[in-house]
Amino acid sequence: MPGRGANRVDNIWLVAAAWMGLALAASLVSIQLGISVALIEILVGVLAGNFLGLHSTGWVDFLATFGSGLLTFLAGAEIDPEALRRHKRPALAIGAVSCLLPFAGAFAFAFWAAHWELHAALIAGVALSTTSVAVVYAVMVETGLNRTELGKLILAACFVTDFGTVLLLGILFARFDAWMLLFLAITVLVLWNLPQLLRLVIARLGHRVSEPEIKFLFLVLFGLGGLAKLAQSEAVLPAYLVGLAVAGVFLRDRVLMDRMRTIAFSLLTPFYFLKAGLYVSLPAVASGAGLIAALLLVKMVAKGVGVWPVAGAFGLARRDNAYTTLLMSTGLTFGTISALFGLDNHIINQAQYTILVTTVIGSAVVPTLIAQRYFTPTVPSVDGAPAGEYRLPKRRATDR
Amino acid sequence: MFAKILVGLDGSAAAQHALEQALDMAQLTHGVVTVLSVEEKLPAYAATVGEMEDEQAFKGEYFRKIHDQARRLAAAKGVPLQTQTVSGHAADQLVRTAREGGHTLLVIGHTGHSRLHNLFLGSTADRVVEHAPCPVLVTRQQAGGSS
Repeated sequence: MPGRGANRVDNIWLVAAAWMGLALAASLVSIQLGISVALIEILVGVLAGNFLGLHSTGWVDFLATFGSGLLTFLAGAEIDPEALRRHKRPALAIGAVSCLLPFAGAFAFAFWAAHWELHAALIAGVALSTTSVAVVYAVMVETGLNRTELGKLILAACFVTDFGTVLLLGILFARFDAWMLLFLAITVLVLWNLPQLLRLVIARLGHRVSEPEIKFLFLVLFGLGGLAKLAQSEAVLPAYLVGLAVAGVFLRDRVLMDRMRTIAFSLLTPFYFLKAGLYVSLPAVASGAGLIAALLLVKMVAKGVGVWPVAGAFGLARRDNAYTTLLMSTGLTFGTISALFGLDNHIINQAQYTILVTTVIGSAVVPTLIAQRYFTPTVPSVDGAPAGEYRLPKRRATDR
Repeated sequence: MFAKILVGLDGSAAAQHALEQALDMAQLTHGVVTVLSVEEKLPAYAATVGEMEDEQAFKGEYFRKIHDQARRLAAAKGVPLQTQTVSGHAADQLVRTAREGGHTLLVIGHTGHSRLHNLFLGSTADRVVEHAPCPVLVTRQQAGGSS
């Protein structure tokens, strides 16, 4: 018969209260400091894992996984399709090199210099290939650059990079067999019809108290996520694609976007970010400090080598180019998602996870500080007049 | 002189007092007052764009309310008043707006941070006074309520 101590550990309400208490504390600190609640939740998770002995449970794992899926979905749904279409060529070029070079650089460093195993090194490459759209957006709002064409180009390029990261995570560890074919076939079919279907659901049933449109989206996310797992792929891949597919619907239906965000930020993402911090070992941070600094440098240099010449080729002025390159070096959400995928699937161990997550957090902070301190473009502040100009690519007759 | 007055408004009692002083000044000079509110403490290092948008919407709604109050106050005194909301650091945005808008007077309230805060960060008033392109009036509420 279990003792009273065991009962406390198994008491789902007390465990939930502990996690939600930490999430609430993180919210309060975040509001007070003006720092993202996600970052604070990770740091609170680090403290809880190292000093309070907090552990994950099966249902926490589910909520955290659902949270990371919903975060990925929202990241896809937040894209501005019009801006992406307008800046298609430079965004694709900058976004692609911004993903692939850091992936190659971090993989090579982890594999040959740090002597990680092949799959662990691949996880390092994926985790450090990211660019945080949200971090970039936050910095650009502060400077007013989000209202300029340069800002919109940078954001569009970030989305391309994120898509590359999600794609790498989705295919690198997948099994290419009949399940993969089934997953791809059903995903294409669903994505093709999803915008129309969602509009139909909203028009016929939308915004009732039973929220059929949200349940419909969850059904799609769970179903495609399940198929992805059968193909040994990762559920974030279909989640991002579903977000991209319905971005146009979400742009017009802000109520739906607000409700999805409320569900995500109040109940699900706190479990994800707290869990992401939970497995960061402080002793491993201390012993791996040199490797963390080296990987951060590799990421920033690789981003620079990739983004700088491409952005320059599209006519960005020197200062704007430096700013763009540094902002493209940031990362947070997809970096932690990739690292946690590696840990959950036993591809990396806790020490490697610690190094990757700490590097990812560093990549959210260090390039941002350098960019803001030394390279902020001069932007007319109040009325949104464009600054940070770059040469818009000429439209070809075939462009639509 | 002082025909274009810029005043920082963040909803605090000190800023409200500064607004009243600016309106009184504009009455005397037949000037125009521009109210500038700065969305500070937007979440840095955000995880989603939505986090930023929600926080901006929350602060935007707050500033809309205090701008409505400012308009009513200005209308009662017969002073033309414009409002602007921008994101960033208060001191930087006040100085930048004053410079770009060609304002002839900048009015701010003294909020009185702790000595420790001022030692490390400096007050908004200090930074504005140091960098403003025009005369700066820093108003201070006395215990009785007047400056």
